[in-house]
Amino acid sequence: MNKELEHQFVTNLEKHQNIAHKICRIYTNDQDSHNDLFQEITIQLWKAYPKFRGESKFSTWMYRVALNTAITLYRKKKRNIKTQDYDTVHFKIKAEEYDDEAERHLKIMYDAIKQLNDIDKALVFLYLEDKNYAEISYTLGITEVNARVKMNRVKTKLKNIINP
Amino acid sequence: MDDLDLLKKDWKKQEANLPHLTYEEIYKMIWKKSSSIVKWIFLISILEFLLGAVLNIFLADEEYWQQMEQYNLTEFTVLVYVLSYLITFYFIFRFYKNYRNINATDSAKKLMKNILKTRKTVKHYIAFILISTGVVFLITIFLMLRNHAVTTTSTQNMEFDATQWLIFIGGTLLVLGILLGVVWLIYRVIYGILLRRLYKNYKELKRLEVE
Repeated sequence: MNKELEHQFVTNLEKHQNIAHKICRIYTNDQDSHNDLFQEITIQLWKAYPKFRGESKFSTWMYRVALNTAITLYRKKKRNIKTQDYDTVHFKIKAEEYDDEAERHLKIMYDAIKQLNDIDKALVFLYLEDKNYAEISYTLGITEVNARVKMNRVKTKLKNIINP
Repeated sequence: MDDLDLLKKDWKKQEANLPHLTYEEIYKMIWKKSSSIVKWIFLISILEFLLGAVLNIFLADEEYWQQMEQYNLTEFTVLVYVLSYLITFYFIFRFYKNYRNINATDSAKKLMKNILKTRKTVKHYIAFILISTGVVFLITIFLMLRNHAVTTTSTQNMEFDATQWLIFIGGTLLVLGILLGVVWLIYRVIYGILLRRLYKNYKELKRLEVE
């Protein structure tokens, strides 16, 4: 019984691991912290898995648990993430696809996201993942109206960081 | 906001560069937590051993050995040192084995068994510390009294009547009780936290097993 559950869980997670990796990219700055967060997310998902009874899609549930883990962990450590530490390898952009100007601009954007707080990061992440407000509100456990308001604030914050 | 939409496009492209873990790698990950607790038990036991060794070196100076000589306790003290080092080494070895075992574990059933084994080892270790402290304490007192009686020439100050003996024995036991209580408390705090966490993991695993 347990074996079967294990197999089910690992298979699902292997298939959807991109979600966790992308969260790690938003919340961490180097490969070591990326791996740590990924492992913590895996453990939290596994702990919560018995309660996941397939009412929603695995991926929907995973967004919720994984983001919560990242937010909680980030709060516990209260790390001040310095933009200088930001590892450019993480967002390597192939040279032939972008001209220098566009590349530079993207880097500034990613840097700006790194400076946001834990909840704002989650909002930007879900926005980048092309989630609609209903999905965002479900994942973060806030109302749809609240999600909209918060998102607009984050956009303003980002603008202010980029063009101070 | 155009900027964010630009970013969204790039974000999608980044997916190709994400790391990819295999089924086995993820599988191993879900058992990692217990292994780190057991690793801490192993490391703390080594630290404790080192601390004990350092204390011994600093406390057991010339004067200490002279005192032991006076009480005729030199052989006994050396014997206690050798024995306690040997037994402590044995426990460090056991903790290390537990750590290796849990690391290599590949199923929930085996992990649960290893967790129980680790808890048992720690409990045995604490029992060993308590019993050895008590026994060494009592033997030391006994030998001191005997040797004192042998070496002392004036008899008048060593004659205890029944009540005095009773008070003396009672006092000794009280001091011993307090000493053991303090030792027990220290170990409860150091290992208790780790043991509780291990037990929590164990209960979680058990719950998964049942469901």
